[in-house]
Amino acid sequence: MQEKKVIESEIEKGYFAIGGEFSSRLKKILRRLGVDSQKIRYLAIIAYELEMNLIIHSDGGRISAHISSNVIQIISKDSGPGIKDIKKAFQPGYSTAPAEIKEMGFGAGLGLNNVEKFADNLNIKSEAGKYTILKAAVNLSTQS
Amino acid sequence: MSEKHSVLLKEDKCEGCTNCVKNCPTKAIRIHQGKATIIEELCIDCAECIRTCEYHAKYAKTNDLNQLTNDQYRVALLAPSFYGQFAGDIKPQQIKKAVYELGFNEVWDVAYAAEATSKKTYQFLKNNSGTYISSSCPVVVRLISLLYPELIDNIVPFNSPVDLMADYVKKGLEKKSIDNYCITFFTPCPAKVTAVKNPLGRKDSSINKTIAVDKVYPQILKLIKTDGFSERSELQQKYQPYLGISWGQSGGENDILNREGIIDTLSVSGIRNIIDIFKEMSVGNIQGLRYLELVACPTGCVGGIFNVTNPYQAKVNIKNNHRDYERFVDQKTNNYDFRLKSKIEEENYQKLDKDFTKAMEKLELLEREIESLPGLDCAACGAPDCETFAADVINGLAQRSDCIFVLRDEIKRLADKLSLLTHEEPPVINNQKSGD
Repeated sequence: MQEKKVIESEIEKGYFAIGGEFSSRLKKILRRLGVDSQKIRYLAIIAYELEMNLIIHSDGGRISAHISSNVIQIISKDSGPGIKDIKKAFQPGYSTAPAEIKEMGFGAGLGLNNVEKFADNLNIKSEAGKYTILKAAVNLSTQS
Repeated sequence: MSEKHSVLLKEDKCEGCTNCVKNCPTKAIRIHQGKATIIEELCIDCAECIRTCEYHAKYAKTNDLNQLTNDQYRVALLAPSFYGQFAGDIKPQQIKKAVYELGFNEVWDVAYAAEATSKKTYQFLKNNSGTYISSSCPVVVRLISLLYPELIDNIVPFNSPVDLMADYVKKGLEKKSIDNYCITFFTPCPAKVTAVKNPLGRKDSSINKTIAVDKVYPQILKLIKTDGFSERSELQQKYQPYLGISWGQSGGENDILNREGIIDTLSVSGIRNIIDIFKEMSVGNIQGLRYLELVACPTGCVGGIFNVTNPYQAKVNIKNNHRDYERFVDQKTNNYDFRLKSKIEEENYQKLDKDFTKAMEKLELLEREIESLPGLDCAACGAPDCETFAADVINGLAQRSDCIFVLRDEIKRLADKLSLLTHEEPPVINNQKSGD
């Protein structure tokens, strides 16, 4: 089966009200496809983290999900500050979120950790001051 | 008549309005030919439709007192919320005495098992890390298995207090070699009736009959004696399970855990609030929480639709009653068999097809179907919203023209075509014959 984009959303910077919309739509689609519920959980968590990253850190971007017969990939692309030190960004608790975001209960520095924890494959490209492209994939090997 | 469910429809009363359709949290109701139908696989017996039907066309079926026969050894199980039905100065002993007089040989408090469950849950949380959800409300458990299966492992793997109590009582009856017994639960809600007919996490229930609280309440109220109730009477002497009784209103279960030292708890009641929490939990957005006490009825079990007293008053009654009592009753926790015998199974009825590739194809059809609809979610088609209607069309459960907007467009297209056709003439007719 050819890879197919099943959903795509544009995310505005700082627009918290729509945070979680993409992941819950994705979840619904995956349920309709009969994807294993644990895999759905992983994908929903990844999608949510990436969505929130776009809202908190970027100047706006797009997030989409791509499905083929054995893998589901979530791609987020943004323009914005980029990630200066990718290694550091994966350390638990490391956060560049501004104080007011942390006050809202976000930006605890666990976002990318969660993505790494649940993705079977993770790929980041970023240029400081320009953009970030993040691709996270979950294998559907135990597809029922 | 449904074998599985207790929430049912009185067809003659249904006016075909879409109140229940729109308010059903699992989107289990459709209107067909002017009458509501409940999709059995999606119903979780939460009774929201009963609450919202203006025509009282929805009801829940339970047993009646007169279905108990005289030769039976009758046992009554009282829910913690039952005590909220009576004014705070009426003591549990008086209420139980009235139930004996109603014709029961034994009267048991589910609150005993609730207290034991609190102790067991405390131990469980000490030995296991992570966030756990109370298994006591059957609507919550069913909601998870149906729509949030990723949270199944978060459910505490214990039988609910009412099942524990029924198991315990049944064992006692068998030990006493009593055969012709009937364990009857005075139920606050339809979901507990369904949990007896069609249990989750176990094969069968030890409860034999369920009677709605409102069917026995007036009689019991009449039998309660306020005078001559001796402080030294036998019933009065025995310590009452007040902590267990506090489970009958939202927050009660957590209060006990908090007292024992587990403070990272959250109590949520009302099914919409619970769905909100589940949405957040399923994207990993609830952190730092050990235990969730979730009850589908607003204000907790006292808010069950079979209860008589206003749920807020009932909450006050329970609080007033147990204010001065702060200790557990003496009993052995291992009197009860907590472990669920079978796994709570996931049930995915949203799946478009068993085959992944076919499901993908159907998903594409579904998206096109959704786009062709107005997106007003008016429910005039009999489905709660355009998206659900589109899925019904894809699954062959509804016709596209059930949507009045699609129908109107179709008529318009036909009318245009009709009007065009009226101007067409067969070639044998000469339009210019009159010469003017």
